[in-house]
Amino acid sequence: MGFLKKVSILFLLVCTHTCFAQDKCGYVLVPKGQYPVGKKQHTLNPLRKVTVDSFYIAACETTNRQFAAFVAATGYVTDAEKKHDALVFEPGLREFEWDNDSSAYWRFPNGVDRGGIERKMDHPVTCISYNDALAYCEWAGVRLPTLDEWEIASRAGATTDYFFGAKNTQIDRYANIWHGADHLQADSSDGYMYTAPVGSFQPNAWGVYDIYGNVFEFCSGKVLANESPTLAHARGGSWWCSKASCSFFNSADIGRVNKRASFSNQGFRVVKKAM
Amino acid sequence: MKRIAAALMLVATCNVCWAQEDEKWQEPSKATVAYQEYREKITRPPYGLEKVSLLIKKIKDDDESSTLPQKDYLSLSLREKFTYHMIHAESYSQNCDAMPPVPESEKKIFAQLPDPFGEYSWSERQMNYFKAHRDTMVALMTESIGRSNRVGVNYKKAIVEINGKEMIPLLINTYNRDHKDKDILTLLMILMKNNEYTPFLTSASYKKLFSDAETSYRAFLNFNTANEELIIQRATTFYNGLPKKG
Repeated sequence: MGFLKKVSILFLLVCTHTCFAQDKCGYVLVPKGQYPVGKKQHTLNPLRKVTVDSFYIAACETTNRQFAAFVAATGYVTDAEKKHDALVFEPGLREFEWDNDSSAYWRFPNGVDRGGIERKMDHPVTCISYNDALAYCEWAGVRLPTLDEWEIASRAGATTDYFFGAKNTQIDRYANIWHGADHLQADSSDGYMYTAPVGSFQPNAWGVYDIYGNVFEFCSGKVLANESPTLAHARGGSWWCSKASCSFFNSADIGRVNKRASFSNQGFRVVKKAM
Repeated sequence: MKRIAAALMLVATCNVCWAQEDEKWQEPSKATVAYQEYREKITRPPYGLEKVSLLIKKIKDDDESSTLPQKDYLSLSLREKFTYHMIHAESYSQNCDAMPPVPESEKKIFAQLPDPFGEYSWSERQMNYFKAHRDTMVALMTESIGRSNRVGVNYKKAIVEINGKEMIPLLINTYNRDHKDKDILTLLMILMKNNEYTPFLTSASYKKLFSDAETSYRAFLNFNTANEELIIQRATTFYNGLPKKG
């Protein structure tokens, strides 16, 4: 092993330890380098190598507490509050069906009737649009990960579909997902029907939590050069995603959603430049 | 169309870089690219198409909304509303409901239909129209399909939404004209599934497509004459067993 590589790994370990000594939801350093991303025969994310500069990625998804601080400081009004077009879920809906709830926004991510976030401040913020996530990032002095950065951090060195292997048999240990055969009946078999507090499940080998499940995480960048400017991308699946429907809780698939759409399974994590 | 071609081209380009490691790669054929485009085509109904298209253009020019204002919507006739719903979706689709393009899709019978409107989906108002005007929907789609001999992906989705099981003979006839649109076979199976038709629910096809918790979202059957004939035969028997009107 080369000297520089050894130093990088040591630096990564020291940094990770330092961050986590204070708070498991600190930042994880991803060293500059060339990484494999994609999957053989994947039409939107083919197997290739990419080179990235060093960056820090948040070990946890951005929480309601963090978003509340942003709103308190700026008076920011989200897309869902302006347009009253948030899409929410309740058991009984058919696959891929969501209800429009005009009362829903980040403080009431599944509508006023289903309660607010007062006791969920450590859950990921949801019911925010891509544009809302960008506004938060600008205020916080951070940014969204690129599609490649997200994937590199999610893989934690693995080249399989999942950071823990080729099959999703261990997904229960690492991700808050939907375990029901469909969405007609509620599923809380892993302890959570909707979001879980960030960091409730085991992290990947680099100490990144909830990279699969909990909420879809917005990323910057395009999949295709000529795609619609109204499109945003998000990755990692969510609490809604089951093995039969969606199954995007992996390191290869890339979702797409309108930049103004606000879903209660949609959130983000941030990155910042390495010093 | 361009997006699909670009996606397939992206894979082909990356393959050049990884040719040594990805030894079994096959470049997407022209047939695959063409079939993907064919699958995602919608049918544009003729009723007030020009007027409706102008109204939709106004919506699209407005970055803030994807919904026709209620006043404009109410000014549309029943048939014009049908056209509006068939060519424009007012709400959003979630991240993962678009199936990524699949290699050799022309040789597969999928469990699910493709997405007609990309990042958009029909809204509650639109679904309410479907429920309230089911018979009109069946009549207008029957007329349109009979004229064009084509069932666009928007019609297929609408037939699922209204449970248009009485359209099965028309769907089979349309399929049999050229045996090209395998998503019609998918639609027949979805109708049998949604109506809990026991011979289908107990079949190997159902198990593979809809009840395997690991695969059903992206599952498919290989296209061959035996599968084709079996689906059509089952759907015909299902239709013949439906209570007849009047």
